[in-house]
Amino acid sequence: MKTFVEVDHVDRVFDIPNGGKYIALKNIELKIRQGEFISLLGHSGCGKSTLLNIIAGLDKATVGGVTLEGREVKEPGPDRMVVFQNYSLLPWLTVRENIALAVDEVFKDKPKGERRSIVEEHIDMVGLRHAAKKRPSELSGGMKQRVAIARALAIRPKLLLLDEPFGALDALTRGSLQEQLMKICNQHNVTCVMVTHDVDEALFLSDRIVMLTNGPEAHIGQILEVPIPRPRQRLEVVNHPSYYRLRNEMIYFLNQQKLLKKRKAAQIPASTLTVSGTLEKIHLEIGFMPLTDAAPLIVAKEKGFFANYGLETVILNRADNWTEIATGVAAGKLDAAQMLAGMPLALTLGAGGKTPIPVVNALNLSRNSNAITLSKKLYSEGVRTPEKLKATIKAYPDRILTLGIAHPTAMQNLILRYWLAAGGIDPDRDISLAVIPPTQMVKQLKAGIIDGYCAGEPWNYLAVRENAGFVAATALEIWPGQPKKVLGVREDWAQKHPKTYVALVKALLEACKYCDDLRNREEIVELICRPQYLDIDPACVRPGFIAPYDRGDGMPPQNLTTYHQFYLHQTNCPNRTELLWMVTQMARWGLVPFPKNWVEVIERVCRTDVFGAAARDLGLLDIEQDDPIHLFDGKVFNPSQPIEYLQSLEIKRQIRIEEVFI
Amino acid sequence: MAAIIGTRTVKKKKISNLKKIVSRKIIPPLVAITIFLIIWQLLCLNPNFKLPGPIETISETWDPFIINPFFDNGETDKGLGWQILNSLGRVGTGFSLAAITGITLGIIIGANKLLYNAVDPIIQVLRTVPPLAWLPISLAAFQQANPSAIFVIFITSIWPILINTIVGVQQIPQDYINVARILRLKGFRYFWKIVFPATVPYIFTGLRIGIGLSWLAIVAAEMLVGGIGIGSFIWDAYNTTTETNLSEIILALVYVGLVGLLLDKLVAFIARKVVPAEQK
Repeated sequence: MKTFVEVDHVDRVFDIPNGGKYIALKNIELKIRQGEFISLLGHSGCGKSTLLNIIAGLDKATVGGVTLEGREVKEPGPDRMVVFQNYSLLPWLTVRENIALAVDEVFKDKPKGERRSIVEEHIDMVGLRHAAKKRPSELSGGMKQRVAIARALAIRPKLLLLDEPFGALDALTRGSLQEQLMKICNQHNVTCVMVTHDVDEALFLSDRIVMLTNGPEAHIGQILEVPIPRPRQRLEVVNHPSYYRLRNEMIYFLNQQKLLKKRKAAQIPASTLTVSGTLEKIHLEIGFMPLTDAAPLIVAKEKGFFANYGLETVILNRADNWTEIATGVAAGKLDAAQMLAGMPLALTLGAGGKTPIPVVNALNLSRNSNAITLSKKLYSEGVRTPEKLKATIKAYPDRILTLGIAHPTAMQNLILRYWLAAGGIDPDRDISLAVIPPTQMVKQLKAGIIDGYCAGEPWNYLAVRENAGFVAATALEIWPGQPKKVLGVREDWAQKHPKTYVALVKALLEACKYCDDLRNREEIVELICRPQYLDIDPACVRPGFIAPYDRGDGMPPQNLTTYHQFYLHQTNCPNRTELLWMVTQMARWGLVPFPKNWVEVIERVCRTDVFGAAARDLGLLDIEQDDPIHLFDGKVFNPSQPIEYLQSLEIKRQIRIEEVFI
Repeated sequence: MAAIIGTRTVKKKKISNLKKIVSRKIIPPLVAITIFLIIWQLLCLNPNFKLPGPIETISETWDPFIINPFFDNGETDKGLGWQILNSLGRVGTGFSLAAITGITLGIIIGANKLLYNAVDPIIQVLRTVPPLAWLPISLAAFQQANPSAIFVIFITSIWPILINTIVGVQQIPQDYINVARILRLKGFRYFWKIVFPATVPYIFTGLRIGIGLSWLAIVAAEMLVGGIGIGSFIWDAYNTTTETNLSEIILALVYVGLVGLLLDKLVAFIARKVVPAEQK
């Protein structure tokens, strides 16, 4: 696919009179092919016209930019002609003169006769020969818009931009104009971007429909491909098998956005918070699990980052297992907690039949540092890959292998299951999975109660060190950059303490940055191994953290520089695509029903606005990564079609798709 | 049958329309004027009242002022027609100069924010200066009566034209500017093709106010500078002590009013012809 127009990470920030900022568009990323017809769909005020104006060059992106055929768009020009909603014809000129003005201006070099014939040709094209001498005031709305389209097409733009072109017209006129527009676009292979809020219009005309979420910080919520073949006929389009599915999906999306808007109206958006002013709460209790990747929390406390941002006393509460953390936050005993990447989602969705408790995530604390450890026994049977593991399971039908996981919502569970399923092993039928606190795993592996586990560090290395197992796969091989730990807080806590929340994220963000500097790692090892935190021999923490990592598979220890990732490679911004992938996996294994309103759910959990406010204050990049997810088996995850993705997976449980009311 | 019935109703409608106009637009003003004249006449029945009544006014000025507006006895003793034409000539010259300068400057100032901020205070101060206050300065500068009077007209009528043009340029709908930006219309062509036509309605508002003000100013200016003109005619009539001088003044006033009205309607008429309906 050759990119014709690229909208590259566009942000548009408006200054508002009271000195604050309004982030209208956030991180818009869109590639458009030559000849494609794109619709921008969203509620009014979501910034779709602003985006169109940025493409036209009439408005400037605050961050990012637009390129047309590889050249940056800096100012408006006739290669990107706009058809405005209010026609924008010059009232003192006749139809012919209006078109001629554009043609004369753009084709200055052409002889007069040729210019005349272009004008006449386009008057005929939109069927306005009889009205050529009339002024706009003598024309109906539909005729005016025909003149505007003729004027736009007469100058042969590379890209035609339409801003709700048929919004002000009656239904009959609209229909016939849509057909005319489509015919002309097909004939001349014009690339179009159209802003609309009419779902049928979008479906009838577009190749792809880009749906924007509500402002502030509007971004692309979902992209729908319209597979209806061209040329299209209005009456036949509705008979296409995907028509009503697509239409429903669009209406559902818009309805979800409406609900979100209603709720957001009651909240204070993080982006409008002023940095100054007193914090709502300065004594916090934060839960953590004794793992290497609790480092940012420990560093933030020990190095005074919390205090720097006005959080005077922060008590780090060590938990023994993840359930303790989850109940602590749910009951409001903990203000915030280090959580497994999937936990905010699982709590919000009420996984496992629990009451849903909305928990939000504005900061990823760490990535990677998960690994799958298998017993030495399996090693001696030659198991290295999931395929080999399957062969072993087949070879010994009487033996049931048990693998340990820390928590059902842990990334480890999802990753382990994915890894097994990719090798053709059904993780619920072919083997047994047991939930074991990470601190117990090595002990149980040694005792032969379990045959392996997927856990964070230092528990994998410990098994290697004690010669109980070997590391079959690390996060870096399964999904490099997978989210591991996040900062979870209750949604109502976030609403009550907006400034505290931003301050907390800022302190931890600084701490994450500190943790990823390899020069600080020696110091951090000393800090986290203290008795009140991990209470462990530093030698167990060092491999993979600062020292080469021994996988216990007979290979020489490797240097895994990104195994513990706290800051680099955009570690920290919560990512909607990743969250969505996690939801698909939880639904895949029956942990939760797949929420029909997934856009709404993820929008609620993923607080990029809070992250953005904190990051901007620190002068850091405030956008989420938009690289697709690269999993080891090469399967592509299209975040616009999660349900299709789920259905394409072979090994899965019965998938329920339900609307989740939170 | 249907056709015949059709024409009949149309005819009837036309007649009733005409009736409506007469009954609504013509009869009430006539009645009002009549009442006004009667009150005037009644007031003048009082012997202490020095001003002539309407009947007296007309009878005293019938010959030569009403029946022969274009008599010429040499010097300044000329018919009211000449006087008015002379005044109109001055107004025409001053107002034309003001229109050309005002529109040109207005477009330039309106298009340039910095320039606008710079000169706006000056404009705001100067526009409040009463027309006659300019007269001593212009007399001192030009040393002649006629150019001074023209200058007063110019300086009186330029402000509304200038200010309205500036506002017009500033208020050009963003749509037109967007069209110009996309088509890359620049420099003179931008002004000629977009700015000027888009500003025309505002310019005409300015012109209409301007012509009214100039006519107000010319009478006063001529009273002071003398020569031939309706203003000087009134002043001369006041300074002579003939029996009929007050009636002459009243007649001149009526003429001044009527000409002022005509001037205003003339500009409005041109505006209607020039400005497209959608822009109003």
